[in-house]
Amino acid sequence: MNFLTIFARNLKQGPQTEAFPLGPAFTPERLRGRIEFKAESCEGCRICERVCPANAIRFAKTPDGMTFDCWHNTCVFCGNCEFYCPTDAIHQTNDWDLSHANADKFDMVEHGLIPNQKCADCGATALNTAPMVKNAKPPLSAEEYTELRARCPKCRAKYLKNRKVPA
Amino acid sequence: MSTHNVPETFSIPVGPLHVALEEPMYFKIDVKGETVSHIDINAGHAHRGIEYLTTKRTMYQNVVLTERICSLCSNSHPQTFAMAAEKIAGIEVPERGIYLRTVADEMKRVTSHLFNVALLVHLVGYETYFMHMMQVREIGQDMLESIFGNRQDIGAMCIGGVRYDLDDKSIAYIKGALDKIEAETKDIIKTFKTNGSILRRTKGVGVLTHADAITCGVVGPVARASGIDYDVRREAPYAAYDRLPLVVHSLTDGDVWSRAMVRLEEILTSIDLLRVCLRDLPGGPVNINDRPDIPPGQAVTRSEAPRGEVIYYLRTNDTPQPERVKWRVPTFMNWDSLRFMLQDAKVADVAMIVNSIDPCLSCTER
Repeated sequence: MNFLTIFARNLKQGPQTEAFPLGPAFTPERLRGRIEFKAESCEGCRICERVCPANAIRFAKTPDGMTFDCWHNTCVFCGNCEFYCPTDAIHQTNDWDLSHANADKFDMVEHGLIPNQKCADCGATALNTAPMVKNAKPPLSAEEYTELRARCPKCRAKYLKNRKVPA
Repeated sequence: MSTHNVPETFSIPVGPLHVALEEPMYFKIDVKGETVSHIDINAGHAHRGIEYLTTKRTMYQNVVLTERICSLCSNSHPQTFAMAAEKIAGIEVPERGIYLRTVADEMKRVTSHLFNVALLVHLVGYETYFMHMMQVREIGQDMLESIFGNRQDIGAMCIGGVRYDLDDKSIAYIKGALDKIEAETKDIIKTFKTNGSILRRTKGVGVLTHADAITCGVVGPVARASGIDYDVRREAPYAAYDRLPLVVHSLTDGDVWSRAMVRLEEILTSIDLLRVCLRDLPGGPVNINDRPDIPPGQAVTRSEAPRGEVIYYLRTNDTPQPERVKWRVPTFMNWDSLRFMLQDAKVADVAMIVNSIDPCLSCTER
């Protein structure tokens, strides 16, 4: 294209730069931004902790249960955690605005708690994680899922073993 | 007339900052008048120890780490690394994954080449056109951000396939963006063939003859511009390249203009390849949906990064971490040829000639 044509076109179009911060910035739906953790759907398999290349994700046992912490100032936003998470408990939102005052740098953490519970069968204290039932056949009904979830890992295995499978 | 003695030869330091790209490379250039008579290349200013770091990370973490070696070839590194791991473990990537790997690879090639040629125009001094070319590249960058979620580290690769998938909406979006880039690239090619300022600054400058190119073992567009008809995508097809109508462009002059022109023609080829990929995209899974342990073994794989052939050597043992990862990047082969290109060049052309090999120091010094 003759440069004059480009010049005329650009005059008509106006500036190509975004008006941010006065206007909205281009943010695609799939943008890999801030990490979001949903404790209720976490299986506690800790695969995210192992695949995180920056070691930004830490699980820790506390008296209340197991805590999840994702340090956004360590995170490289690669999305490995979301990709390998079997239950979509980790999700990368398209929120990219992570600017903060230096004083708040230790607050840039996504925190979650998988609480302890008493097993409905044996009464032992165990984590209230989401049961690993992705491959259960036939799929569990909502009622069965709640019953299974209320148990400790040992009783969960027993429950699944004794489950009546309709022929 | 002043009579005091002015020496005929000078020694000029170029770099280590801001030679062409904002990357550290140091040239000690001896000039006679305005002509380069001798050149010393000195690199190693930004060693980051990534090869060592890879042995401290697991295979699955390393896919992300290798992606961060270089921002412009940020797809070629994890892809070649994943190919090596797959070779050792005997993993077969599903058909759809193979095609999507090609899509990611070619998208990165388009934006990388546009970036390099834009920088050439900047060094020529045609700032307005540089701005225009960067704006064209921005279409591609927006495309990467919309499809993969990041402008540079696209995170498309995983061991056993790809991490992303395309639906009808995103395919239509890519096709629209490609149409725009294609039209603009054709105009850029026309400008490169006709614009006096560009032609005068780049034609016959920084010549690398065919013989010298073979001596240096150059790869990628630098080799193809010197008449070496070599492209890993054709010589050793990986991903889906054996099924695609790949055209390898080569020119014989070996000057800065030829290298830019090879890149520009390759953009058009990449766009064609992308269209074929999107048309023939098979159904099915995009990856193996598993995280197998990589058994002990070793493998060498290679692929065509935007800058040329990148080779990975991977050796694994019983631990989740690799024992050794070593990569040979295109710039390592190409920068030696600068000695030949810069010989007898004008001082004003040094930055342009350096840029014409598309140097990537972050790959080379890692």
